[in-house]
Amino acid sequence: MKQDFPIFSREINGRPLVYLDNAATTQKPSCVIDAMSDYYSSSNANVHRAVHTLAGEATEGYEECRRLLKQRYNCDYAVITSGTTEAINLAARAWGEYNLNAGDAIVLTEMEHHSDIVPWQMLAERIAVELRFVPFENGLLDMAALDVALQDAKLVCVVHTSNVLGVRNPVEEIIAKSKKVGARVLIDAAQAVPHEMIDFKELGADFLAFSAHKMCGPTGIGALLISGGAFSEMKPFMGGGDMIETVTLQGSTYQSNEHKFEAGTPRIAEGFGWAAALEWISKIDLKSHHSRLLEIARGVSKQLSEKGMTVYSTLNPGDAAVVSFTHPTIHPEDFARLLDAQGIAVRTGHHCAQPLMDKLGVNGTIRASFYLYNDASDAEIFLAGIDRVLEAMA
Amino acid sequence: MSWPASIQEIIEEFQEIEDQFERLEVLMDFSSEVDELPLEEWNDSNLVRGCQSVAHIEVEIRDGKVWMKAAADAKMVQGLQGILSIAVNGSSPQSVLELTPAFAEEAGILVSLTPSRSNGFRTMFDMVQNSVKESIQ
Repeated sequence: MKQDFPIFSREINGRPLVYLDNAATTQKPSCVIDAMSDYYSSSNANVHRAVHTLAGEATEGYEECRRLLKQRYNCDYAVITSGTTEAINLAARAWGEYNLNAGDAIVLTEMEHHSDIVPWQMLAERIAVELRFVPFENGLLDMAALDVALQDAKLVCVVHTSNVLGVRNPVEEIIAKSKKVGARVLIDAAQAVPHEMIDFKELGADFLAFSAHKMCGPTGIGALLISGGAFSEMKPFMGGGDMIETVTLQGSTYQSNEHKFEAGTPRIAEGFGWAAALEWISKIDLKSHHSRLLEIARGVSKQLSEKGMTVYSTLNPGDAAVVSFTHPTIHPEDFARLLDAQGIAVRTGHHCAQPLMDKLGVNGTIRASFYLYNDASDAEIFLAGIDRVLEAMA
Repeated sequence: MSWPASIQEIIEEFQEIEDQFERLEVLMDFSSEVDELPLEEWNDSNLVRGCQSVAHIEVEIRDGKVWMKAAADAKMVQGLQGILSIAVNGSSPQSVLELTPAFAEEAGILVSLTPSRSNGFRTMFDMVQNSVKESIQ
């Protein structure tokens, strides 16, 4: 598969690139790069309003992205955003602000990415909602604590798959329990959609937030899928062009569809690129790749443990192929830098999940995350790279 | 630009290395040049701000010469502190104030580091110069 990705023809520090920072962002296949370039080369125009040919092509290409999203994830409403972060902020502003009152409870987990903590903390500052955090132990959410937290809760926001640990939470069970108490549910699926197929209606959540760039699409574009019930409770948050029906000096009326949440010129080239990525990924058997990558990650995890590392990822069935680890004495940044010198890209730091790091009792980890184009040879090079670092630091 | 002999030597040592991994190894070797700031002396005023790893630098002027003590949890940051120590320890306050961080660029040390680390080096360099300025005022 690497031949579909031009970046793998380059070398880093004289070595072939081994890219294991996929949980941060994935590489782009030629079809995505070409789709964006072709749009700028031959169809560049603004969408929706104008009647000329180019505007028609631009609108068609951009709206094709939305159509593919709705088709792939089986949903009625797909608002296109700048990514997962904006999608969650949109839910907090356009739904939270109009449907929650002071004292209402929002249930979150200690495993959330900052993008699913901070928007709710900001909402709490504005309208004094209560935030309840469900703890976890050894990578597993405390479901008994969830039951307690759910009492009278109005909204439940849970990360589907942890970006740090790769842990896949039992979202189906969480959604079922949340629905029993009448709470709306938001799922942060940034790390989930790259690894598994999701049927939004079957899942039963009210909001599903994710980004294109973690599934081989462009950066700067993502989506918030919304259930019909939640959509009818939302009000526009950002005002401007494209989201209105009529504007007079006395007031404005808004569009009734997703456009009312997409003020201003949207991310048109990115829409073309994401549409190409969605077409490309639709031909991939995610399930078999997921099993293959999980096996590779398990092998890597086992060897890292044998080499004296502490591995935090559980790599249970369903988890993403993410191996988060630390060495007893070598600083994660030193480790990553020495791997980079060998052409190996990994992530270090708190991975935008400081509460999770606090829970693990570390300042940061080294994270190797595998994706579709990674293979056993990448894992071998990575482990050989680790050996060289251990030798140099001995 | 001409540099003091101790710095010129470091620049040449780094310029001779072609392999990136070896360059980082040499950088870490410089950590042994640090006069270590004991843990009990780590405080907010000697904390290096904006550095992703935990780093501290304390500067004093003794007998008219500049001396720095430092510590960091990452070996490469300690290496940068070691190089900085060679550049400033035993020099007059005036010559430390005349120094620029460009020598690290000339040696190619910063090229091999992430922006956060290379900014960290400049922050440490500024911290040393500011401490010297305050001490002689």
